[in-house]
Amino acid sequence: MHPILGSIRRLAIYLLAWLVIGLLLAVGLGLGRGGDWLTAIAFFVPLGVVFALISQSAWYVCLTFPLVRSRGWTVAVSQVLAAVFASAIWVAIAGGWARTLAVAGLESAGAAMFQTQRPLLFVIGALLFWLVAIFFYLLIAFDASKEAERANLELTLLAREAELKALRAQIDPHFIFNSLHSISALTAADPAAARRMCLLLADFLRETLRLGGNDQIPLSEELALTDRFLAIEKIRLGERLNIARETDPGTAACLVPPLLLQPLVENAVNHGVAQLVDGGTIRLAATRSGSTLTITLENPCDPDRPRTRGVGLGLELLRKRLTNQYGTSDAVFAQEQAGQFRVEVRIPVVPEASA
Amino acid sequence: MSQSEMPLRVLVVDDEQLARTLLRELLSEHPDIEVIAECGNGFEAVKAVTEKKPDLILLDIQMPKLDGFDVLELIGSETPIIFVTAFDQYAIKAFQVHAVDYLLKPFGAERLAEALARARARIGTRETIPSKALVAEARSARTPLERVLIRDRADVHVIPVSKIDYIESQDDYVSLKVGDRRMLKEQTLSELEQVLDPGRFVRIHRRYLLNVARLVRIEQSVTESRVAILHDGTELPISRSGYARLREIL
Repeated sequence: MHPILGSIRRLAIYLLAWLVIGLLLAVGLGLGRGGDWLTAIAFFVPLGVVFALISQSAWYVCLTFPLVRSRGWTVAVSQVLAAVFASAIWVAIAGGWARTLAVAGLESAGAAMFQTQRPLLFVIGALLFWLVAIFFYLLIAFDASKEAERANLELTLLAREAELKALRAQIDPHFIFNSLHSISALTAADPAAARRMCLLLADFLRETLRLGGNDQIPLSEELALTDRFLAIEKIRLGERLNIARETDPGTAACLVPPLLLQPLVENAVNHGVAQLVDGGTIRLAATRSGSTLTITLENPCDPDRPRTRGVGLGLELLRKRLTNQYGTSDAVFAQEQAGQFRVEVRIPVVPEASA
Repeated sequence: MSQSEMPLRVLVVDDEQLARTLLRELLSEHPDIEVIAECGNGFEAVKAVTEKKPDLILLDIQMPKLDGFDVLELIGSETPIIFVTAFDQYAIKAFQVHAVDYLLKPFGAERLAEALARARARIGTRETIPSKALVAEARSARTPLERVLIRDRADVHVIPVSKIDYIESQDDYVSLKVGDRRMLKEQTLSELEQVLDPGRFVRIHRRYLLNVARLVRIEQSVTESRVAILHDGTELPISRSGYARLREIL
């Protein structure tokens, strides 16, 4: 789509601008050489409008030889040739116009004006053509930068969406199936408990989706989410699952990436306590010393269990995420000793108030 | 008594109390089903199978220490099994070991009734299952073996392979030397050799499979044959081909 010929409004503004250029030409070239007002305007203003239309061809030259992707000499040669060609046509039309004016009775002045200024007119035509070409190049560059900005924004949005999707995908489907099975079991045995579990599950799912949409959340919200998760798992696993939590009051407002602890707590249940015949206690602690927030999660595990790749992968993902966010490569420590699995996460403190 | 009136003696195995409660509730609607026991883990399940000989087992897969497939390996597959799990990725394996059916949690009364109908049909035909071959096939799906399961009547021992010093062939059995204990398992040495990590266990002799981590040195004995000396001083004979295999690894 031609940027100027494509819209009546823009074309009108553009032609108006050229009327002004025509008047300037009339003042500079006509009056300056002793011509009279009427002849100068009658000669130059229509010529200005004509060149306004001729110079629009610069758009196609600019499109064919864009500055960024063409070699310099092809741009120069094409623009010189185009300007010479356009200006030559213009000068030829000017000649014809001078003769027409002569027939109309403005002969002497118009012809004289044209005869003496033909080379100057040619040079001015070429310069004006280049002015238009520069205008088009600027327009193209402006469009490109706007396009780049839009693409960039789109990319950011896509990346964010992908991350969010990845976070949502972390909701283990088996957790949902198992929970639904528990609800199904409770429906007849203990309807009130079944309802409680339904609500817990709904809360957990909704909170997971909601928190996943944030960059950072207060630790207290993350802990509230893991509480819901553990409450649901406690219904399923009964006495086999026990929870001990020790969090310093000063840590509640510290900002952490959303769903930071959730995968760790899931691991602690699925690969730890649930793999033990008699179950065990999951210990979750959060302390703050200086500018470091330390969260530790400990759970008993079966030292002879068949190794699954899931745990290592989850830790690796967490490590990557924290490296991306804080630029530290040593934010996660994991250790297994004498049937106890322990994960320590250390991240810089970002108190909610100062964020 | 006709086939359909014979009460089916069912064993329910699941590590979750709620899941067992639900199965009991759903099964109570089938007058021809009698739940003879509920088990909360694989050890109890093996014990119950040994002592009570159920007609059918409803068996959870994800359980601590011994999972559903471990239980199946230990009890053999003469007893029809309906697997019950929230995980769909075991379905193929379940049918490889000839499970009657595979119930995905959560399931309802109708789906359970369907599975029970299949079980009755299976029991009605008295279809014999080539148990050993099937179990071996299922077992090969998770090689190399990380632990050996041994059934001692109603009891089950789980031996991590790293704790085994060596394994000795005794006809249709193998004897595992684990520290100062010896344990018998009904399996041939060749079968076990196939599923153990060949980089850790080497057949040094027709009768011996050695955990190479226990080997201290090799001595040349008078009669040109060689002897493996283990960490605790035990001496095991090494055959000519066994020596070649050992050299390949060391």
